[in-house]
Amino acid sequence: MSCPCEVLVDDCPERTAREVLQIAATEALRIERKFSRYREDNIVHQINTAEGRTVDLDDETSRLIDFAANLTAASEGAFDLTSGILRKAWRFDGGDQVPDESTIRELMTRAGWNRVEWDRPRLTLEPGMQIDFGGIGKEYAVDRAVRLLAAAQPGLGVLVNLGGDLAIGGVRVANRPWTVGIESTRRPDEAIQTVPVRAGGLATSGDSRRFVLRDGRRFSHVLDARTGWPVANAPHSITVLGRTCTEAGTLTTLALLKGSDAQPFLTATGSRFWLQ
Amino acid sequence: MNGKDLARALAAATCTLLGATEEAKAAEEPTWNLDTALLMYKESDSRVQDVSAAILASRNFADDRILGLTLTADTLTGASASGATALDRPQTFTSPSGRATYTTPAGRVPLDDTFKDTRFAVSGSWTQPLARLYTVSAGLGFSSEYDYRHFGANAQLARDFNKRNTTTSLSVAWSKDDVDPVGGAPLPLSQMLDVGSNANKSGSRSKNGLDAVFGVSQVLDRNTVVRLNYSYSRANGYLNDPYKLLSVVDAATGDTVARTPGPTGGPDGVYLFESRPDSRTKQSIYGELKRNLGGVVLSGSYRYLWDDWGITSHTLEARLRWPLGGGYLEPVVRWYTQSEADFYRISLVRGQPLPAYASADFRLGRFDATTLGLKYGHELSDGREWTVRLENYQQNGSTPSSALTGRQAQRDTFADLHAIILQFGYRFGL
Repeated sequence: MSCPCEVLVDDCPERTAREVLQIAATEALRIERKFSRYREDNIVHQINTAEGRTVDLDDETSRLIDFAANLTAASEGAFDLTSGILRKAWRFDGGDQVPDESTIRELMTRAGWNRVEWDRPRLTLEPGMQIDFGGIGKEYAVDRAVRLLAAAQPGLGVLVNLGGDLAIGGVRVANRPWTVGIESTRRPDEAIQTVPVRAGGLATSGDSRRFVLRDGRRFSHVLDARTGWPVANAPHSITVLGRTCTEAGTLTTLALLKGSDAQPFLTATGSRFWLQ
Repeated sequence: MNGKDLARALAAATCTLLGATEEAKAAEEPTWNLDTALLMYKESDSRVQDVSAAILASRNFADDRILGLTLTADTLTGASASGATALDRPQTFTSPSGRATYTTPAGRVPLDDTFKDTRFAVSGSWTQPLARLYTVSAGLGFSSEYDYRHFGANAQLARDFNKRNTTTSLSVAWSKDDVDPVGGAPLPLSQMLDVGSNANKSGSRSKNGLDAVFGVSQVLDRNTVVRLNYSYSRANGYLNDPYKLLSVVDAATGDTVARTPGPTGGPDGVYLFESRPDSRTKQSIYGELKRNLGGVVLSGSYRYLWDDWGITSHTLEARLRWPLGGGYLEPVVRWYTQSEADFYRISLVRGQPLPAYASADFRLGRFDATTLGLKYGHELSDGREWTVRLENYQQNGSTPSSALTGRQAQRDTFADLHAIILQFGYRFGL
């Protein structure tokens, strides 16, 4: 995970703080090792190089696949674990390079959850297809770390922050809230707003530097798995406060996929959110 | 699928993924935090009794902006010492309204039991950060009771220094109070008259107050915080208590000079209404040290106050917060002592020239007071907390024998006071 990670711990002895940090770091690194698509020694690599063969998944991976399949259904196909392959055609460097239609069409034949056979715990991808947990892995690691900490140090107030996606566990002394800043997209390291939060998770999606400009339209780096095209006119950045970091992160992704309709969509979900 | 259904499906999927067993908690800070309290204050010998209910509501907005609202209602009943001295015979007084009389039994400190009031108070404040290290807050308050109205405005500016380990603050408050005494405000040092005669009383009065507090708080180490305050307070205008009296006594016996009431009835002794200066300047310094000793928080404070009426006072307080089960136990000891005001008199002596100012209000006399209290707080989930507090207040006055005349030395010349305070509190979020 190439991002700054931190664990904030409420008032406690140093020994406890070190233990908390150790638990959180171990879990985050374990999840990264297991689900990173850049490694060759993990289950994701096994799936992505199966070339049509069936892979038997362990329980944790099965749960992540179930979760993603649910999301695909809920978003009517816009969210898709197999859409990562489309990145081969798109370069989100702020320029105006758009791949030609035939390249996208060709890649689309290797994307789409409807081409996948999922009979838990047996997963079969068509040859050439790949999955990518990039959209949910980090948020999942945050929530997992918080849960492990709740088991190891019941009640202790902690905040696990993996590159801006964070979740809160336990209760702080005197039930004080954590003050979380929503980072400005225009002025990094500056908060557009600070919010007192006592529980739940916060996640941010979108990146002001990763986009394509075409015919005056600004395409974000989130690709709609149904068209193979990025979503136009989405907010630069979406931050959502949810019950868990995974829930918040998923909502930001789904909202980005709604493009200019992100705001009404988030309002309807009843979550608190910030758009930039 | 619409946003609402999707959110529901997502919540369920997340629970399955994370193996969540507990019911997901509300993610956000509650919109409103409410602190409610019911307080009962009861003085022994059926003197003053006060029941008050208060609601403190605060709402946190983004960026540490806080709106605070307070609503208080209290009912005061009972009797308080009028300032007249005890005698070996019953004493009759005209009630403040001037329409009736009341009688105090022999040997007892005279109490005015016509005292009954209901007070309502509201106040609001707004706090927000200003620039990076400043916090500014401003508030307004209003209270009303039968014979008294108060209006106040205040502002505070705080600045953090030294990686926020040092905070300095300056607050200024202004107030205007209108007193509309029952029966009118008596002319200072005028004599209590018969029923039906209000010649020495007229209308209402007012006073203004200005208060300023400069404070510094400093984090000394991870477990220790120290706070120092300097306060300046000035009041101008009508500072008398319109219901307080002084007995005029015989220089030899110390007994109140007798008076024959008129046909409508009235006082059977000579009593004058008190007279206080029309300005008062108080200053005080306050120091507090708070230290966390492995979960047990010990705090000690001291206040020294002096004013231009000649009163100086010392307050020492020690408090311990002891974690206990799902809550905490907090014993407190407070000791207070004050010297009397320059114009404090037990009584006035017939034949001696009248001083410009004189008051027999026991609150301006010399006394010590000890408070012993215990509070238990129980923390529930979601930041809810209930508390119960019980305090015992004992005030003992002393009058130097040189200030006593004749037989006063054998009588109870100072209205000692004992009170019990019981408070229930409940804090919750909405």
